[in-house]
Amino acid sequence: MRITRTTLVTGVGAVVATALLAGCGGESSGGSDADGEITGSIRFQTWSLTPTYTEYLNGVIADFEEANPGTSVELLDQPGDGYSDKVLSQASTNTLPDVLNLPPDFALPLAQQDFLYDVSQATDLPATYVEGSVEAFRFAGVEGVYGYPWYLGTDVNYWNSQQLDACGLDSSAPPATTDELFEQAATMAQACPENYLISRVPGLGDFTLEGIDILNEDGTEFIFNTPEAAAIIDRYAEAYANGEMPPTVLNSDYLGNSQLFTEGKVAWTTGGATAIDSFEENNPSLKDNVAISPALNISPLYVQGVSVAADSQNLATALAFAEFVTNTENQNEFAHIANVFPSTQGSDGDTYFTEDDGTPSAQARVTGFESLQTAEVLTPYSVNGAMNDYLGQQIALAIRGDISGQEALDTSVEKLNDLLARQ
Amino acid sequence: MSAVTDQRGAVPVAASAAAPPPPRRRRARGFGSMSLGEKIGRYALLVFVLLICVGPFLWQLSTSLKSRSEDIYTRIPQLWPSEPTISNYTRVMEAIPVWSFIGNSLFVAVLAVAGNVIFSTLAGFALARLRFRGAKVALGLFLATLILPGEATIIANFVTIRTFGLADSLLGVALPGMIAALNVLLMYNAFRQLPAEVDEAAVIDGATAFQRFWSIAMPSVRGTVAVIAIFSFIGAWDDFLWPLIVLTSPDNFTLTIGLQYLSGTFSNDQRMIAAGSMIAFVPIAIVFAVLQRHFFKGVEEGGVKG
Amino acid sequence: MTATDISAPAAGGQPTRRPRRGGGPARTTNRITPWLFLAPALAWLLVFSIWPSLNTIRMAFTNAKPLGGNERYVGLENFALILRDDQVVNALLNSVVFMLICLPLLTILPLLIALLVEKKLPGITFFRTAFYTPVIASAVVVALIWTFMLDDRGLVNGLAQQLSFISEPLPFLTERWLIVISAVSLTVWKGLGYYMIIYLAALGNVGKELHEAAAMDGAGAVRRFTAVTLPGVRGAMLLIAVLVCVAALRVFTEVFIMTGGTGGAGGEALTMVMLIQQYSRGFSGDLGYASALSILMFAITVVPLLLLGKINSRSNA
Repeated sequence: MRITRTTLVTGVGAVVATALLAGCGGESSGGSDADGEITGSIRFQTWSLTPTYTEYLNGVIADFEEANPGTSVELLDQPGDGYSDKVLSQASTNTLPDVLNLPPDFALPLAQQDFLYDVSQATDLPATYVEGSVEAFRFAGVEGVYGYPWYLGTDVNYWNSQQLDACGLDSSAPPATTDELFEQAATMAQACPENYLISRVPGLGDFTLEGIDILNEDGTEFIFNTPEAAAIIDRYAEAYANGEMPPTVLNSDYLGNSQLFTEGKVAWTTGGATAIDSFEENNPSLKDNVAISPALNISPLYVQGVSVAADSQNLATALAFAEFVTNTENQNEFAHIANVFPSTQGSDGDTYFTEDDGTPSAQARVTGFESLQTAEVLTPYSVNGAMNDYLGQQIALAIRGDISGQEALDTSVEKLNDLLARQ
Repeated sequence: MSAVTDQRGAVPVAASAAAPPPPRRRRARGFGSMSLGEKIGRYALLVFVLLICVGPFLWQLSTSLKSRSEDIYTRIPQLWPSEPTISNYTRVMEAIPVWSFIGNSLFVAVLAVAGNVIFSTLAGFALARLRFRGAKVALGLFLATLILPGEATIIANFVTIRTFGLADSLLGVALPGMIAALNVLLMYNAFRQLPAEVDEAAVIDGATAFQRFWSIAMPSVRGTVAVIAIFSFIGAWDDFLWPLIVLTSPDNFTLTIGLQYLSGTFSNDQRMIAAGSMIAFVPIAIVFAVLQRHFFKGVEEGGVKG
Repeated sequence: MTATDISAPAAGGQPTRRPRRGGGPARTTNRITPWLFLAPALAWLLVFSIWPSLNTIRMAFTNAKPLGGNERYVGLENFALILRDDQVVNALLNSVVFMLICLPLLTILPLLIALLVEKKLPGITFFRTAFYTPVIASAVVVALIWTFMLDDRGLVNGLAQQLSFISEPLPFLTERWLIVISAVSLTVWKGLGYYMIIYLAALGNVGKELHEAAAMDGAGAVRRFTAVTLPGVRGAMLLIAVLVCVAALRVFTEVFIMTGGTGGAGGEALTMVMLIQQYSRGFSGDLGYASALSILMFAITVVPLLLLGKINSRSNA
């Protein structure tokens, strides 16, 4: 194996030289008629729902095909990991399936580049769906609604009641506000230095929780570097300095607090209504040791939707199917088997979501459903990965005590505005 | 047998240039046996390295054998399952069509191995043992390819595969992986190790380049071919993002993608996930165990005895 | 092509004497034959590696977004931005330091391991396979086990405190250079098996006869190592050094795991590829800037390769 300057340079030179030949190609394809006949075959892409819900999805498809003779729907469920890459590659090659399951933050960039059909043209959405969920698919700067709201989720608090009770706290009265959280964390740290209550760092959602605006009104500039926001960070920094949080919170993305909670290393985590099942599944000893309470202050709202590709060759069928999947009946059935919440109106009459039969799973569901009534989307969808990463890094610096909360926010806002301007 | 000096010309070391005479074989056996002390020492070291290496593997194995009443995440990882069970494996088999996913993965992996073995041996041989104009540029090109930034190329490759009409096909998954610059360089290096004398004789005898490649050079580099086969098999077997992007129909999914279904949106049983990883590990272990024998067969059994 | 040949000839040849042309190319009369041998490999790389990379070069001069849109040429703007970006300097430094530590470790340790498993002993196949398992272990499980080891209350800190080596736990996962060191350990751990098999194949080529002959002449283990083994694996060693350089400069997974994907507080432990990923990821990535960073990365990787080539040709002189 020999490498000489000439060898390498010629190789590199050859690569660079051909660069001049590189170009880019694009292609476009027109959609079809939204008012056309409901017939023909379409593809329906879901996100990580099989094999658990295969039966349900096939049932919905069968019902649709029966009600609309001449149609056929192919189910393409994609795995959980890498879904954004998958959808991105489909969009960049104009191969989006006719109907696809998207959360609003995926739908936004697709809608901005005209990949999705404005479903408000086809359906009177506010008549069927709750307002917040429709709003989630309405984006600043783009006219219309870009997805039928599907199932909803929110976070509730999970507490390790055994640890709370053993460390001078009362698991029947867990913290309900941020203030109480820090008070109880201090108590816990004193009584049980081996255990932690808090294992998370604040992010944009926490600022929204405290009523701090993230963006200015036209969404062109970040403005969250207020003293109030700095105070939130400083508070976490203080807790960190007092040993009330494990040092790994500085790297909290990967083995997040739900993992630490399952391991029994921390006594508090947030999670969806279904998280309780995973905790107990993985660590059966947590059974009967988890107390559940609503999220602190405002509950976050997570929305899943069903969008229709703008260039679908079978637009009428695609729209009809997307509406069918998300109609009241089908959503209710799904919510019951998957322990999620429907986005259609009238579900508050369903005792399944309002009556607690005493099982932890039902308790999580009822708590979640109550919180949903006031839940809000906490992080603007225009915040991308690079922005989140940068902010997280600055906040971690402040938590570790290297800089003040205000410094972290000022640096972040400057950088994030740079990034936003380049979008 | 001739005594020559090593490159620094310090201590004379005997070495054999030509084919060893028969008695050599007998001594070879003598050399192979080692003292009890050395054996113990070697095993001690082997076990030491083993302990360092197998932690994650053991954790996964033990998790896959744990019953549903046992905690997975404990402060100190619990390696011995309290009630070992194979039910997690049967649950995986019931949940996803494991065999069909394995079949898909094997198809892709076999193509990747075949492509890499054939193309990189051919290219490596030409670079190392044929003299021609432009050889330097070609070698440089392979080196440069090794360090090309690959971060943003995946979508571009998908566009190419789609142009070929191979989107959502296993052939489309396999195609880009059928050659890697790294393997060409590995083969180049292996072929260069062969002494020039061996094929100079063949040239005089009028052997064609392909004959020299096939019957003289190839048998001597079997060890490196085995390495390439292992690398390409594992690369294809473990790849996640590329097959995910190429494939859309669940029927076509490879095992790595299919196993993702075990960590669904609303359920996340680590025992099943671990059982799935163990299933994915078995074919790799077999391929490795079978091919590693060839590492040592190169020269001893090849035709390069001068 | 043969002037700076470093590859020592293999067994069956005369490893202790420089052969006339080393393993150098033999005469070929046909001009086309070599290109026929090269054609499939070159064609493949052209289509699947070089072509898409050219696209990266083009994008570096645009404001490309993953989903297209008003893409336009922006000249050197992305490169100008690199100069103003503090995180780039930081990431470059981390990547280079990381490489400098990994390079000696990963060129030498796998050779020692290879020598250990080279001898046929009962059960050796098991050991060889086991030593290879870290290469293929899943990132999630590796993260789990390594954080268990390196956590503040993890195995390493626990042991060290019990033995009174340290009084306070060492923040392996939260302080910049400790993160780098932790990531180096993980990289070496994962790399041992990978480079081990390249060495094994090279050792297979050295052949027994040389060792036997050397042993009969009374050469000790060390002498046999320096006079027979080392020259025999020199080609492999240089290739491995190149691979380690390239891989270490492009380190991503290991630091990603150690920092939970965050790059550490203030991004102090970010590496170049992490930075590139940060910008290119997702629907609203900044492909123009990420491409410019990729080109910088490419340019930087060329440097150690040229140096290695130089060291190599000098040691052959």
